[in-house]
Amino acid sequence: MALFVFWIMLSASFEWTHLGLGLIFSFAAAWLNSGHSPFVPKFRLWLRILLYLPWLFYKIIQSSLNLSKLILHPALPIAPHMISVESKLRHHAAVVLLGNSITLTPGTITAEVDRNNLIVHAMDKSDEIVIKQMESKIADIFKDEEPDL
Amino acid sequence: MNMLSIIFIVAGLFFMIVAAIGVIRLPDVFSRSHAASLADSLGAFLMLVGIALHEGLGINMLKILVVLALLYILNPVIAHATIRAALRSGLKPWQKETS
Repeated sequence: MALFVFWIMLSASFEWTHLGLGLIFSFAAAWLNSGHSPFVPKFRLWLRILLYLPWLFYKIIQSSLNLSKLILHPALPIAPHMISVESKLRHHAAVVLLGNSITLTPGTITAEVDRNNLIVHAMDKSDEIVIKQMESKIADIFKDEEPDL
Repeated sequence: MNMLSIIFIVAGLFFMIVAAIGVIRLPDVFSRSHAASLADSLGAFLMLVGIALHEGLGINMLKILVVLALLYILNPVIAHATIRAALRSGLKPWQKETS
């Protein structure tokens, strides 16, 4: 239902063909996703994640500039290597957040996840420090939640 | 306002060009996908912000912000899927010859 309202908002037209298509697609999407875990509102957690995003964005800009510098450097001074990160996080959601943050930051990509061990492909030696910082920030976010991993 | 949006779009274009150069210059799949994610995370972000400022407040700005949010959710998913597939099919990351 919320999806249908969203469709109307986006299409901003009230012809029957548009409304009918929106109705079909929004219910199809809702039906396809009905088997997944329901959305549980945890306001403290979401607020902390929201406060984490600006810092993440700052890191994204920083490492983007760093990577641009590496690419445009005439000698191409890159040192790609694999890092194996064994995180101390004890939540599925926390590990997902960490993996997403790592991949979203240019210069590091999560290649494999197994419980709380991540294999990360990094472009530069300095990236390891950023990953450590991310991990401690995310551990801070989830410190009051029940561990489920 | 118009000037600001032009600045944003040009900056976004700059990062897109850098990303394209990176895709050509870098040696293997793993490092090339870093360059591709540069185009998404900063290039597309700056361009979409520029277009949103150009459009001004309204339904179009909202649509652009939705596109931006979806892009930021989907970009790591796709990058991770590509890299994991490359790793599982036995591709070795490129190393400096000296090491």
